[in-house]
Amino acid sequence: METVKLNDVTVNDLPWKIDYNASRCTMCGSCVAACSFKAIKVKVERRRMVFSEGDIPEPKSRFSAVPVIRQVNSIRDYCRGCGMCEKVCPNDAIKPVRNPDTRHPIVTRCLAGDSIKRGGRKNLENTSRTLDAIRVGRISQMTDPSLDAQRHTFDLLAPFGRILPPKGLSFSEAQNGQLNSNANMPPVNWIYPVIIGDMSIGALSWRMWEGVAMAVAYLNEECGLPVRMCSGEGGVPKRLLTSKYLKYMILQIASGHFGWNRIVNAMPEMTEDPAGVLIKIGQGAKPGDGGLLMAAKVAEHIQAIRGVPKADLLSPPNHQGLYSIEESVQKMFLSFNAAFKFRVPVAIKVAASATSVSVFNNLVRDPYNIVGGFFLDGIDGGTGAAHEVSLDHTGHPIVSKLRDCYLAAVKQGRQGQIPLWAAGGLGKTGDLAADAFKMMCLGANGVFTGKLILQMAGCIGNDLGRCNACNTGLCPAGITTQVPQLAQRLDPDKVAQNIVNYFLAMDTELKKLMAPIGNSSLPIGRADALVSMDKAVADRLQIQHVC
Amino acid sequence: MAAQIQGFDENNQRISTQDLLMQIYSALVQGENEFEVLSSGHHDIGGPLWRENGQPLKFRVKNPGQRVGSFGLEGTQIIVDGPAPADAGWLNAGAELIIKGDSGDTTAHCAASGKIYVAGRVGTRSGSLMKHDPAFSAPELWVLKNTGSFSFEFMGGGTAVICGIGCEELESILGDRSCMGMVGGTIYVRGAVRNLPGEVLLLDLDEADIAYLKAGLPEFLAKVDRSQHLDTLSDFSRWKKITAKTYEERQLSKSTRISMREFRLNKWVGDGGIFGDLIKDDYDFTAGLVNTGDNRLKIPHWRNKAFCAPCEASCPSSIPTQDRINLLRKGEYKKAIELVLNYSPFPGSVCGEVCPNPCMDSCTRQFIDHSVAMPALGKLSLEASSPQPKTDSGKKVAVIGGGPGGLSAAWQLRLLGHAATVFEADKEVGGKLRQVIPTDRLPADTLSAEIQRVKDMGVEIKTNEAINSDMFASLQNDYDAVVIASGAHNPVVIPFPGHERLVKGLEFLKDVNNGKNPTVGEKVVVIGAGNAGMDVCLGAYAMGAKKVTAVDIQRPAAFRKEIDHFEKLGGSIEWPVFTDRVDEKGLHTKDGRLIEADTIIIAIGERPDLSYIPLEWLDDRGMAMVDACGQLVKAPGVFAIGDTIKPGLLTHAIGHGREAAQYIDSYLAGNAPVAKVKPPMISQECLSKELFRPQNRGRFKADANQETNRCLSCGTCRDCEMCLEACPEGAIRRVQKEDGGFEYVSDAEYCIGCGICAGLCPCGIWGMEQVV
Repeated sequence: METVKLNDVTVNDLPWKIDYNASRCTMCGSCVAACSFKAIKVKVERRRMVFSEGDIPEPKSRFSAVPVIRQVNSIRDYCRGCGMCEKVCPNDAIKPVRNPDTRHPIVTRCLAGDSIKRGGRKNLENTSRTLDAIRVGRISQMTDPSLDAQRHTFDLLAPFGRILPPKGLSFSEAQNGQLNSNANMPPVNWIYPVIIGDMSIGALSWRMWEGVAMAVAYLNEECGLPVRMCSGEGGVPKRLLTSKYLKYMILQIASGHFGWNRIVNAMPEMTEDPAGVLIKIGQGAKPGDGGLLMAAKVAEHIQAIRGVPKADLLSPPNHQGLYSIEESVQKMFLSFNAAFKFRVPVAIKVAASATSVSVFNNLVRDPYNIVGGFFLDGIDGGTGAAHEVSLDHTGHPIVSKLRDCYLAAVKQGRQGQIPLWAAGGLGKTGDLAADAFKMMCLGANGVFTGKLILQMAGCIGNDLGRCNACNTGLCPAGITTQVPQLAQRLDPDKVAQNIVNYFLAMDTELKKLMAPIGNSSLPIGRADALVSMDKAVADRLQIQHVC
Repeated sequence: MAAQIQGFDENNQRISTQDLLMQIYSALVQGENEFEVLSSGHHDIGGPLWRENGQPLKFRVKNPGQRVGSFGLEGTQIIVDGPAPADAGWLNAGAELIIKGDSGDTTAHCAASGKIYVAGRVGTRSGSLMKHDPAFSAPELWVLKNTGSFSFEFMGGGTAVICGIGCEELESILGDRSCMGMVGGTIYVRGAVRNLPGEVLLLDLDEADIAYLKAGLPEFLAKVDRSQHLDTLSDFSRWKKITAKTYEERQLSKSTRISMREFRLNKWVGDGGIFGDLIKDDYDFTAGLVNTGDNRLKIPHWRNKAFCAPCEASCPSSIPTQDRINLLRKGEYKKAIELVLNYSPFPGSVCGEVCPNPCMDSCTRQFIDHSVAMPALGKLSLEASSPQPKTDSGKKVAVIGGGPGGLSAAWQLRLLGHAATVFEADKEVGGKLRQVIPTDRLPADTLSAEIQRVKDMGVEIKTNEAINSDMFASLQNDYDAVVIASGAHNPVVIPFPGHERLVKGLEFLKDVNNGKNPTVGEKVVVIGAGNAGMDVCLGAYAMGAKKVTAVDIQRPAAFRKEIDHFEKLGGSIEWPVFTDRVDEKGLHTKDGRLIEADTIIIAIGERPDLSYIPLEWLDDRGMAMVDACGQLVKAPGVFAIGDTIKPGLLTHAIGHGREAAQYIDSYLAGNAPVAKVKPPMISQECLSKELFRPQNRGRFKADANQETNRCLSCGTCRDCEMCLEACPEGAIRRVQKEDGGFEYVSDAEYCIGCGICAGLCPCGIWGMEQVV
């Protein structure tokens, strides 16, 4: 007699069900050895057959007991659908299947009495994206020649740093005809228009983080693409800080200021300036919430660099010393400009919100010429860990918000002075070039992306709830974990190579989009190149409606 | 005489291109083969034209417009006296085009055959998309000076010769970024070139190249009237040639970048990378999804006896039935039935008869069919011979009380080699086993046989020796240690009105067992439905009661077996019942009901009488105040067990006796006793019960000798070798030890940490250490 009770958690309550075919299984043990979530286990099953073979009832029974693979009924160790079991099974005997009848959101809250947390991405909105409703519709042909993507010289450079208007430049002409600068000019780095977004060394495994850093160095040194990477909040290894590759790194400071002690202490040994400093105020995936690094991922080196013991590490939702935008400008911008002797541009990252334009307008005034960029982060991006309710129900999409900011600057004749960088689900469909291009046409100077980088490395998570377990430290791909056994699944060379190759491909694709509209430099604000078959989208973004 | 084609009319006005070309067509129809054309920028002069008879056509053109010679066919020669504008020789299909001056942009664009000679420069994008159709001769473009930028883009075939005359100062005689997208053909260049794409090669000439130029240059120079440059151009050391990489070479050149590994080792931050000072990791190693050794996500451990079997864990006497049965399974019958005597001197009386058998309540086998038949196993040991005691230690211990606890302590002390003297207040030892347990539950023969076995072990017994405080003091003096095991014999009575009418349960039972036949009325109410209450109820029926009702303020605490027995006799239990008062009618409840009774017996427990030890040795509940080893906190060397420290079952007292003996053993050896903690009970989750075929309960018959097939051996390896067979990697070995024991070992070199061993172990021995 089985003793299951009504409220016992069963497989049908969980988001994924294991589809297992015992007749194909050889009990090689690979699936159970590979599953990092402890979501499957070995169990013995009884087989019993009662039968009669005679002409009259002659009861006989046959009994056997066989080991099989079973899904674990647990709201803690449950299947995330990562599919590692399916990947390693030599016989196609096992795979996770999405469970449409899941009661997980209810059962988990009922049993745990705590909010649900996860990593990854937006799961509720599977509707079509605004960017997919937009096409590059202006194709130059009779009126003006399109460019040949292959042979034309393109200038794919975006500014990181405060751009002064012509009147603000202070030049005089020397006798030899050269221009001389008469005053201190704000630093500007012209970089590739796609920044690898801020993912911290706590969020990522060391192999992943180093793989990304290596890819950036390789793209610069071997391929000539001036790609930059943002460190994320949580420190930077000293060896990188004191290497020549620091010049490719944008250092992030967030509300926890984690890791900055070591950055400051490394300054005397730095041989290069960093590419920039990014002040993180908010994150698009969980706006209004601070960083969250679950204790499972606070490895020893993270504890050391961050200067904290092993615990769930929360960064406050706002900078503890800031009370107003004015103060943020004065304190954070001034101090970080000063820290690097005004040689390094300093930008700010905020979560897209109903008030983003006001914030941007305030910064655009920038009387001290110290605002080196406005990074606007919308929903649909990834995160290492967050409360599910934040991921699923808060935030603002990026497209219209970026457009609003750009048009606000245009209205004042100040577009381009504070570079606009946009993120939030860009490259979600795998085509970052198209997304980046459209965002630039709408007014972004460039874009940044993190989640897509994980997918280049081998992340199998998706927006339909597959895996999304970055918060657990049990990443089956070795990307968002600090456990050596899992991290070592990841080959840092391969990570770097995949990123390099993706960027090379994307570079070609960006040119393939620039050429038809006849732009040899980035098409910032060229909304005339975009059309939409969706009237609402077209009207909202002030682009041509086509049908 | 050549046809004269004029680009002007009689009024010297320029005619249209169409009119001019129409003149050429009509002259052609009239049989003209040669044409002298005075053009004024008229376009498309020279082709595509032909004679039906195949005779060659010759044009001399002055001042042509765009696309002179375009689409020209083989057999057509066009000589331009001077420069030509854009697109000269465009789509040349075989004509010879001689331009005696400079030529404009996109000269020879898409030329597929024929030859184009230019006496000066050509403009931007010249030679782009030149191609060679193998059905025709290859196109050629000879240029005396240089080309504009972006020339030879997407060139697919043919030959171009760029002589670089007068271009010594130029940075590139092909302008900037020529040859983009070039996939075929050859370009000979004499002079500097720069910014060539990666898809082409800039090579030195070989013999065939020199032969080609040697043959072609004089003809070219002659046709453009520049033969004076022949010597200059014949210094072939100054020439290079540009060819496109082959498809295969392109595939190779895609990987000309260094590998990421080389980059990491040779260029990236050295000595272990950016985390090299923080983490030891070899990036040349990448783990698989399934690994052995340290890369396993979990590691199996053979944890034999790390957990108690449920029977052992729940047995207050800690009897390890699984060990008994493993001995039986090995055929060591004698050892098996004697084993239990190391734990209890009363396997027959207690395990076999009166114990409620908590072991069976927790037995894993009940989840398969029925619990293992513990009473039957206990009875097997009734006749078992005693274990051999250790040699005499010379130490002696006094045991106050000859009940099951005291006798257990004395028995164990003897086994440990100490002398034990039991002081019993009653006329015979046995305590409550003898005094209060109804004889139909415990046959007198069984009990006396086991008591005799204790006596035979050499335990000295002094009966009718009630201890008072003076005697206690002298015991403390005379003995090396003292065990207080006098039990609880003071019945608890609640002082509600009429309580003086109550019969005390313990006394009633003692009277029954002593043959005093206490009288009871027809209707009896027993207050208290615990196990003692049930004994009282049975006693009441035995003494002639017709209807016995047990009441309790809470769910009856008696074991099911006892209640069943009682109810079979017609008894009933009521609860919750709160007594308000008792009188001659019976028991009045607080809610105003009357439960009629002639006799009311109270059996809600007893308290120990410890008046023979100092009051300050007791806790505030009147029990002996002891530490975790049962030693009196205020009197080292004095140990208290059983009901003197906490009300319990007979088996609790027996267990306490054994524990106390062990603690006393350390105490006597001069060591401070250390409390023993039983290993935790094994979780049912760990046991693969499914490997056991359930027996049909309907046909079930308990047989102690068949239990070897039924006991799972929870927590103790049964040596079945399931793991050995099932391990997919063959990583498990069975190691025979010299002492006759054995162990199973998983080899980290082969084990992948799948957990099959743990998942199917019937005994729960293999456990997985979760590394991740």
